Amino acid sequence: MAEWICRTLRDGGLEGEHAPALTINDTITCPLGSFVFDHFLSQLSSFIFCQKSQSNGIVLVALSRSPLYYEQLLKSKGFDLVTSSTWFKILDCYTDPLGWRSKLVESGSIRNLSSGSSLAVNICKNVKDLDELLSSILELGRELSGGGKGRFTVAIDSVSALLRHTSVSSVASLVSNLRSHDQVSSLFWLLHLDMHETRGTAALEYMSSMKATIEPMVQSVDGPRGNSENLSLMEQNLRRGKFCVRVKRRNGRVRMMFEEFYVEKSGIKFTPLSSENEMTAQSLVPKVQFNLELSEKERNDRAKVVLPFEHQGNGKTIQIYDGRKSLNDGKAETQPTSVQKVDSNRGEIIYFRDSDDEMPDSDEDPDDDLDI
Amino acid sequence: MANALPSTLLDEALDGKGAAVFSTSPAADGRMILVEDCVETSGAFVVHHLLKRCLSPHSSDVVVFLSFAHPFSHYDRVLRKMGCNLSVQRDNKRLMFLDMLMVERLGRDRGKTSEDVFIALYGEIQKAVEVCLSHEVGQPITVIIDDVSLMEVDANGSSNLVLDFLHYCYSLAAQFGCSLITLNHDDVYSNEDRPGLLLQLEYLADVVIKVEPLATGLATDVHGQLTVSNKGIHDGSGKSRNKVHNFHFRIKDSSVEYFYPGSKT
Amino acid sequence: MAANKPRTTSFSRNFSAASSTAPQAPGLKHGPNGTMFLSSGIPDLDKILGGGFALGSLVMVMEDPEAPHHMLLLRNFMSQGLVHHQPLIYASSAKDPRGFLGTLPNPMVPKDDKSRVHETEQEKGLRIAWQYKKYFGEHNSESQRDGKSEYCSDFDLRKPLERHFFSGQRIDCVSLKESADLATFQENCSSFLSQTPRDTGNIAGGRIAIQSLCSPQCEFSNKDWEMLSFVRSLKSLVRLSNAVAVITFAPSLVSTAFSKRLQHLADTLVSVKAIPDEDKELAKLLTGYQDMVGLLSVHKVARINTQVPAILEATTFSMKLQKRRSLILECLNQAPVDGSNGTSYASSGSCSGSSKTGGALDF
Repeated sequence: MAEWICRTLRDGGLEGEHAPALTINDTITCPLGSFVFDHFLSQLSSFIFCQKSQSNGIVLVALSRSPLYYEQLLKSKGFDLVTSSTWFKILDCYTDPLGWRSKLVESGSIRNLSSGSSLAVNICKNVKDLDELLSSILELGRELSGGGKGRFTVAIDSVSALLRHTSVSSVASLVSNLRSHDQVSSLFWLLHLDMHETRGTAALEYMSSMKATIEPMVQSVDGPRGNSENLSLMEQNLRRGKFCVRVKRRNGRVRMMFEEFYVEKSGIKFTPLSSENEMTAQSLVPKVQFNLELSEKERNDRAKVVLPFEHQGNGKTIQIYDGRKSLNDGKAETQPTSVQKVDSNRGEIIYFRDSDDEMPDSDEDPDDDLDI
Repeated sequence: MANALPSTLLDEALDGKGAAVFSTSPAADGRMILVEDCVETSGAFVVHHLLKRCLSPHSSDVVVFLSFAHPFSHYDRVLRKMGCNLSVQRDNKRLMFLDMLMVERLGRDRGKTSEDVFIALYGEIQKAVEVCLSHEVGQPITVIIDDVSLMEVDANGSSNLVLDFLHYCYSLAAQFGCSLITLNHDDVYSNEDRPGLLLQLEYLADVVIKVEPLATGLATDVHGQLTVSNKGIHDGSGKSRNKVHNFHFRIKDSSVEYFYPGSKT
Repeated sequence: MAANKPRTTSFSRNFSAASSTAPQAPGLKHGPNGTMFLSSGIPDLDKILGGGFALGSLVMVMEDPEAPHHMLLLRNFMSQGLVHHQPLIYASSAKDPRGFLGTLPNPMVPKDDKSRVHETEQEKGLRIAWQYKKYFGEHNSESQRDGKSEYCSDFDLRKPLERHFFSGQRIDCVSLKESADLATFQENCSSFLSQTPRDTGNIAGGRIAIQSLCSPQCEFSNKDWEMLSFVRSLKSLVRLSNAVAVITFAPSLVSTAFSKRLQHLADTLVSVKAIPDEDKELAKLLTGYQDMVGLLSVHKVARINTQVPAILEATTFSMKLQKRRSLILECLNQAPVDGSNGTSYASSGSCSGSSKTGGALDF
């Protein structure tokens, strides 16, 4: 399935259509999003390198990891760094995102220092200005496509850093501008879910066509930290995770896929999830009219209901609805339904009269023969 | 190797078994270590431990120490009892101590904004890094910050500014192999509805060392527990090893005893 | 622990007498790790903290919104300073903070000092019977021996501090109510502390007392960061001088995060709590419930120049007014069966926390 996503990103969008966009979400309990990001980056790189993809190159917006890191990554995947500049460009928002360094260099307190990377790197000195960021991304993309009609892929690592510096709306407009740009073939980014308010994450989910969420295999239970069970859970969550994908398909359907992945030294490995759970289907399907199963609360409530015959003779007035009360003192009882309370804090019997014309049968107590 | 530093459980948790003998730098390859503590149990001793390791005769590390919490004399006395003379190290230019308690450091009187102060502070750190690099080859640099929550106070509560500053410090790691060790207080952030600074730091960190009291409270022979979680894939041998470690500790003046729960008689 | 017990039990006086390296004012004594202590004004609290408040430390007292016990601590702290002729700066949110000086307690006048001194020492050293302590009467009278003031006085809360103590040293009273921010007060403190710098040989020890820092009637009380910045600057100023600052604040008035930050800033952290009035359950549970006015908990003990935490054997103490005059702190004694007979020896033996805690500090 991870492969399927890779292929989708590789194939890009159709002419006049928004480019496919993937958001990779993770949380601190299973903070493996960056590994998954690297996986997609290197997969796409090899597609592009072999010219098997729609796009001619990748523009990587590096915000949370250094260009040097990506250089190492490419090297470890066996790419030639010297020729890489024809298909791989980095917009470096990592080294000097706020222009502090250049300010210091100007005042003479430090020397100018390169980012130390041998890759083709353009330094962005103000990430707060997303318009400029957009134009530099597009410019780098044009360089990749050689000024022609060629397309390119944009990777942003990570949007969380952008969101910290700017507002949700400006990040959303950056993403939407990229998606709708006819030279952008595909787009993917990393987002740390728990770092933002739901408004931000929802906006980015809305902007994307595919959502990959990294979840811990087992949700941890609250307990003391020293607990050995919790420790091994923490340990597991740093090694493997559940890869959940929701894809908005062109035909209007949503495709959901689950996989498991392991982090290894060479990269990450996806395996089909050992136990497929069907709980996902349930949340989509509308609830049936009648409920065969009771929830915990419903079961408790049912247990609390005092049946009418249970309190007869314990001093209280017998309150069996005989159908007449509502007729005698029915001031407000004009509705077709009538509700009778047995005991407000112990549960209640709700009686819905089918219709107004259902009159009480007779004066006779229907349970007359019931003697307790 | 007779006079090599005795490897403690903490060192093993940081580097893997036996690794401490070979790489004395606690934060090799530009790692970032985050120490989290709380009011009940201070994590300062972990910082002392790491500082001592950086300055041990077996490593060639240079330390840039940003102290927001204590004056130099405090660290000097504490580390001296642990067998490490900070004054000498400072004279040897292996320790650069930036005492952020000094009023003039904050530059408020000169009408500077806190951003200016932090930019200037970063400039000082980078300058130190440059000097080190011009000196000798391969002198790793470790930047230690004690502690981040006080830095936040100096930034007038702007956690964004603190994060920007930390990002710049962290970016030195990628470029020059600098390591970053920070201390922060866990409980300060536990009640915030919007997770902020601490979470960002946790994402940034390669190693998180959490210092907590025991659930049963403090005792004279067990002062608390440590949980070390190692996010990076730093097993040089390629063998998989535990990424999460948990053990108890007892702090003494000269050293800290680390032991697994129940293994101490 | 056992090995250094004999020493710690008697260190309060012998230790300071033995070390005569620095010119030393009567209100100070040497502590471990090159620190100096000054007295909190409450003999029992000094013992619990291993000698007193360390010079250069910031002491925070968390108030109980329902009880004024923090005032007791402040009063004794201030009085003790005045008795030792140490300069004092006091700030509160009241309109006329100087009026508070009129409520400071006077040192207890000893009855038959000289004959009792030795006995008192021994009794304190052994610390046998917390339970019986009340029967000994005023055994703690070490206030004004030989006409010279001792390290820690016993204060009579009913008698106002005599006038002559107010003369001769600097006493500043600052009202925080009027000022819009803390900048002016910070300057006050800074100039005050510059009188007691660290590096001069003449160590006197100054005291800063700030009552109810975050109290809502102050204009700055909603500026969390400004207050934190003030406390942090004060802490660094105090650390480089020979003074102790005591700040009380009500955690209930501020956000949890802010309160935690203040707690982290404190070198020594203490909280006071009210106890319910005429609670029969508690009366049964705690011996000496009748005399209790509140509870005091020690959360943190200053760790200056050391990394070793002070682990106290007990962290919660009952505050009692002995004979309605002097404030004493006792380990909470949970009555085994009833009140104070027979069994009390054993229970008090295990609870002699305050004398032993010195040992934890003093490796």
